[in-house]
Amino acid sequence: MSGTRVVWMVSQREFKTRMLTKANIISLVVMVVVIAIGAAVGSYFLDRDTEEPVRHVALAREVAELRPALEAAATAGALDLEITTMTADDATATLDGDDTTLDAFLDGESAAPRMLVATEPDTAVLAVVSQAVRDHATAEQIGDLGGDPTSFAAAIAQAVPHLEAVHEPEDSTFDDAAFGVSMAMISILFGALVGSGSMIAMGVVEEKTSRVVEILLSTIRPSQLLAGKVLGIGAYGLFQVLVLGGSLAVAALTLGVDALEIDVSIGSALVWLVVWFLVGYAIFAVLFGGFAALVSRQEDIGSVTTPLLFVLFVPFYTTMFLVPHDPDGTAVRVLSQIPVFAPFMMPVRGAFGALEPWEMPLSLAIAALTLPGLVWLAARVYQRGVLHTGSRMKLREALRS
Amino acid sequence: MRALHDLTFEVRSGEIFGFVGSNGAGKTTAMRIMLGVLAADSGTVRWNGAELDLDSRRRFGYMPEERGLYPKMKVGEQLRFLAGLHGMSPADAADAVERWTDRLGVGDRRNDNVESLSLGNQQRVQLAAALVHDPAVLVLDEPFSGLDPVAVDIMSDVLRERADAGVPVIFSSHQLDLVERLCDRVGIIRAGRMQALGTIDELRTTDRLQWLLEVEADPGAVLTAVHAVPGVQAHALDERPGAVLVELAAAGPGAGAAGAEQDVLRAALAVGAVRSFGPVRPTLADLFREIVSGDEAPDAVHSPDGSSGSRRTTAEAAA
Repeated sequence: MSGTRVVWMVSQREFKTRMLTKANIISLVVMVVVIAIGAAVGSYFLDRDTEEPVRHVALAREVAELRPALEAAATAGALDLEITTMTADDATATLDGDDTTLDAFLDGESAAPRMLVATEPDTAVLAVVSQAVRDHATAEQIGDLGGDPTSFAAAIAQAVPHLEAVHEPEDSTFDDAAFGVSMAMISILFGALVGSGSMIAMGVVEEKTSRVVEILLSTIRPSQLLAGKVLGIGAYGLFQVLVLGGSLAVAALTLGVDALEIDVSIGSALVWLVVWFLVGYAIFAVLFGGFAALVSRQEDIGSVTTPLLFVLFVPFYTTMFLVPHDPDGTAVRVLSQIPVFAPFMMPVRGAFGALEPWEMPLSLAIAALTLPGLVWLAARVYQRGVLHTGSRMKLREALRS
Repeated sequence: MRALHDLTFEVRSGEIFGFVGSNGAGKTTAMRIMLGVLAADSGTVRWNGAELDLDSRRRFGYMPEERGLYPKMKVGEQLRFLAGLHGMSPADAADAVERWTDRLGVGDRRNDNVESLSLGNQQRVQLAAALVHDPAVLVLDEPFSGLDPVAVDIMSDVLRERADAGVPVIFSSHQLDLVERLCDRVGIIRAGRMQALGTIDELRTTDRLQWLLEVEADPGAVLTAVHAVPGVQAHALDERPGAVLVELAAAGPGAGAAGAEQDVLRAALAVGAVRSFGPVRPTLADLFREIVSGDEAPDAVHSPDGSSGSRRTTAEAAA
């Protein structure tokens, strides 16, 4: 029987086991729900911030001549104003009722109309109405004095200062959208890497604790077992990344990315997320598997995974604090070529548009060159450790023997 | 620490080989070396004359001493997975899993997680895991421990049936009556060395024929009377007061001794009424106790062909 088939069967079992584990299903659903709630809450606040509600003002027939002035004032004040005509009785009834669609009703004399409101006047509406009445009165007076109200209005409209600055405003304003998208990306990446790494470590130790490893290794090679495990759990990790990344993308689109004028392409961000997950996973997964083989009990797992988690935490937080403020600084450029930093730094720098064309391929090549060494190291530790029982095996012991 | 010394034995096709020894004697170590789970510092394991590799080991059925199955995996799914790793096609694996779980009495638990089964049933599943891929060689480390009498009978039948089909079967056990009943050949191991190796009959044959004599008289008087017969030694048994164990010098197999026991009987009748007088052969348990309690001295192997092992761990199976 070919080794490929064995690896395939092992990986299939791993993938199926993770997919059908209740805890995994629940946590994935919870995270998708959290993203959905986040999107809903976000869109509520964004809508509230950006869109002013439409104001309704009703006019009695005797003040209908105020309409052009009201429209002009509303446009100048950037207020969405709807003007209707109504009788005083209807307006009173409407304002008295629970229906809050009407903000104000005007009647009486155009020069000094009565403004009827439910309780308190809407300040924006009051300002527009005051402006309109004043403009109307001024135009009347200009007309009475023999002037042309239209040319007066045009002259007034042009009487604004022309703005000039001595210093040009700084070009590189902080890019909120790029920051949000890239932080969401590396958070998913970090979560998926920590999750899959721990899953591999737990899987390895589970096989050792339950001693099923002895049956397995009387039939297949340790390297086949480790490879199958890494591939199966990797496939599950990729599935997680796609589900979470996809729901984030959907959330971003429903939030109205276009309205926010985000110039980050969600599609390409998702592609890079997947690419860097695969690279990061390849770097860390085998290490988690190999090191976990040093211990025989679930309680001891922490002693081998903690150093690896630390190696994940450092690049994650360094990226979070360093890159957004200085995406093309020297330190960032150098660090982002180091394989453990690259999966976090590269997508963020990409989102900020701070990458030279050669930087991404170079970091991928460096990672690809480092991988065989890491795989060799991890496979060696795994083979030595996997049948060792009892207390924790020393790393040096595993490497030497 | 050296676990095994010059341990050499051979199991033939169609033979059930019982591996016996006290705790820590090296049975499990030897079996793990056979399956390649443990690497031997020196020595070889051969099957049909060729040294074992992963491909030939795939045709072995193995039950490790420390039972091992995925606790959170369904019985049927797990056995199909293991059968697949041994090279079975999915359809064959499904058939075999059904057949063996039914036979071992866990057919109705196929869709339950292993961890939800009782220990005895987990043991049956473990046996199914060793048998499901129709192995050409069976190596079972204490397959009977933890089984109820019904399961012991089923398991005995299975082992006999596999052996009759030409499969060499090696198993270790502390249930010596079972080993005695089931095994064609037995190896008794102590401190990593094979101390006795052969068929049960061969092992039970002793240099001196032993007879148990019970006489209604003072044991001291009986001893004196029996000692008077030439070439006879006798001593009282602590565990059976009133009985005397008589040892006759075996002058060649059978012939010369035929007269001696009649002389002993006559001498005993002179002292009192003889209640019983019959030959005794040591049980496997007796042999085991003798070997295990013996001191370091007997370095020579009791093997019938007299060949002592080389400085290697060599196990051989033929099919």
